[in-house]
Amino acid sequence: MRRPFQRAWTACAAGLLASGLALSAAAAQTAPSEIKIGTLYASSGAFAVPSQSQLQGLKYWAAGVNRSGGVFVKAFDKKIPVKIVAYDDQSSTATATTLYSQLVTQDHVNILMADFGSVLTSVAIPIAAEHHMLLIDPTGSGANFFTRKTNYLADISIPTSAVWPRVLGDFILAHKIKRVAIIYDSNDFDASQATTLKATLEKGGVKPVYDHGVPTSESNYTVLIHTIAASHPDAVVEFGYALNDIAFFHALSGSGLHFKMTFSIFPGQLLALLEKNVGTKALAYTFTYPVPPLVVYDKTNLGPNTGTFVKAWTAATKSAPNALDTAGFNTGLIMQHMLGTAPTFTQLAFHQALIDMSGKTTTLLGEFKINENGAQLGEQLPVAQVVPEGKGLKFVIVYPPNKATGKAIYPAPRN
Amino acid sequence: MRKPPAWRGPGLVLVALAAIFAVAPRLYSNESVLFTMMTFMALAQGLNLLYGFTGYLPFGYVGFFGTGAYATSLLVTFTSLPVIAAVLLGGLAAVVVGLILGPLFRLSGPYFSIANLAASQIIYNVVANEALKPITGGPYGIKIEHVYAPTASYVTMLAILLAATALAAYFRRSRFGLGLRAMHQDPISASLAGVDIVRERLIAWLASAAIAGLAGGAYAWNLSVFYPEAVFTLQISVFAIVFALFGGVGTVIGPLLGAALLYAFYAGIGVSAPQYFELLYGLLIVLLVLFLPNGLASLLTRRNVDVL
Repeated sequence: MRRPFQRAWTACAAGLLASGLALSAAAAQTAPSEIKIGTLYASSGAFAVPSQSQLQGLKYWAAGVNRSGGVFVKAFDKKIPVKIVAYDDQSSTATATTLYSQLVTQDHVNILMADFGSVLTSVAIPIAAEHHMLLIDPTGSGANFFTRKTNYLADISIPTSAVWPRVLGDFILAHKIKRVAIIYDSNDFDASQATTLKATLEKGGVKPVYDHGVPTSESNYTVLIHTIAASHPDAVVEFGYALNDIAFFHALSGSGLHFKMTFSIFPGQLLALLEKNVGTKALAYTFTYPVPPLVVYDKTNLGPNTGTFVKAWTAATKSAPNALDTAGFNTGLIMQHMLGTAPTFTQLAFHQALIDMSGKTTTLLGEFKINENGAQLGEQLPVAQVVPEGKGLKFVIVYPPNKATGKAIYPAPRN
Repeated sequence: MRKPPAWRGPGLVLVALAAIFAVAPRLYSNESVLFTMMTFMALAQGLNLLYGFTGYLPFGYVGFFGTGAYATSLLVTFTSLPVIAAVLLGGLAAVVVGLILGPLFRLSGPYFSIANLAASQIIYNVVANEALKPITGGPYGIKIEHVYAPTASYVTMLAILLAATALAAYFRRSRFGLGLRAMHQDPISASLAGVDIVRERLIAWLASAAIAGLAGGAYAWNLSVFYPEAVFTLQISVFAIVFALFGGVGTVIGPLLGAALLYAFYAGIGVSAPQYFELLYGLLIVLLVLFLPNGLASLLTRRNVDVL
């Protein structure tokens, strides 16, 4: 006799639970008055220059969408203004940890976006996962981040660093350059590139004649460059951050030494900064990865193409955008599409929206393609050479052949 | 009138600390700020054990912190030990490093400080070396996110802070601590009076290293994904030194007050007025050096208040 009662109670309890869940779901679906995007930037320290550029790009995007009434959020079927909540982490991971937590627990941001680069992104990953928030990762490309499946991490505006040098390796092999020297900073971003380059070269039978890691804080390359020269390389590849590149080119131009090929990363991202610090002559004929806007994507199916963006940015800010401005803007653009297609206003729906876009979307940074681990596999970087033009410099894409806009000048003439 | 028991004051400090940090997460949900505050309080207290009682200022204190962080992470990665045991062994690893660096005590004053700084950078460069990638992760950093447990690591850090404070109270009240302070004032006279200088100084050094190692272990547990520079950055040494000096070294509550107030100020400006951060923080340090060279605790000692 007790069974029917038990069933009735169970049914009632299930009904109450279901109504409770439905009510809480309805409450969760109440449209916010603004979409809060929480992020960090560095006003000082090693990452200040790129970090502030990335934030400028994001702000530029937010200003654009707010002028048109806000970002369209499919879950609420209306436009909602965007608010950026940004704190200064001063390039410190300890400070960044507390500030990411601040954004999540105190500011209750709707979207959590990481600061520039792998170092300042790393500490956000467990915090985002703990709070079940999708971490929008614009430029943290450390290969170590993307080793297992996750719903809480998406690399948006930069390919994972392990895939960056594949084209460079192919270029070196295609030009039959046998003596290669590699000097890199001992950090994830640079060391993982060195590892990939070495693997690519070794597949082609080339073993580096010099292979050396230096601290990320390295600021004097004079002795190192002479040591490299003693190994008689044809190509010298220097993987570092912008400040390392500046120090490297200072030392190289001061040494009077010359190599047939010199490669470094940041002329392709922050050319104006490098030109200002080391001069046009020191950079002439250097090889680099040209990052949009220096490499142009005319055909996009999301947002403006590179040319339109550069024009609009220049008109608004009276200066040309750099790669990190573009990355910040592109991140905003991807988030806009994510909000515009996610059927519910939840972090898992946001993540699914990104997965759904993957492989079908081309922005001003190229193809957007992420895998289930959150790694960006699109937005591949070609190899370009910085060539003198008048009093300035221009980029000529030299590899792969299907993207090339000119031929590589190798060996590079002595300046 | 009966004199209060010697351990009443320190006992009250320990109870107050435990109560504050047990309740604080219920009042302020950014547990990360509270955790980092406790980390710096423990480090300031650990540094106080050495500098406050012996006068040896370890600029490279972060070396022990990083050693603890890496030892804990490696034990978690390569063994099936519980994380708490790994944190304890992280403290032990720092003690072993302390023993190896024991000969630094042949130096004194700034020579000791600089040699200690160099030692911490050597440890950093060994850990971050790419050749050790299969073991330490080298420059690629280390991930122990499978054991990430913010609440458990918070409780562990609180226990470490209490242990550091209890040790400081012991140093302050015991015959052992008296010997250390005598040695600080005049090592030759202390030696003639029967203080075993080498032994006592080494014990203070190892206790200080253990606290930093334990704090590093709990910090790594809380961070769970990090690069070598995150746990070997000199900023950690600088903060521990500034916080301890701000509160007043050689006391029990000075480093706690200094770290709590300055870190709260640091976190507060960082959130409310980040654009003025360096200006305000720098100004505060300048004012401290000019008007309170012996730290906040000296405000109380001038009025004959026992600062423990």
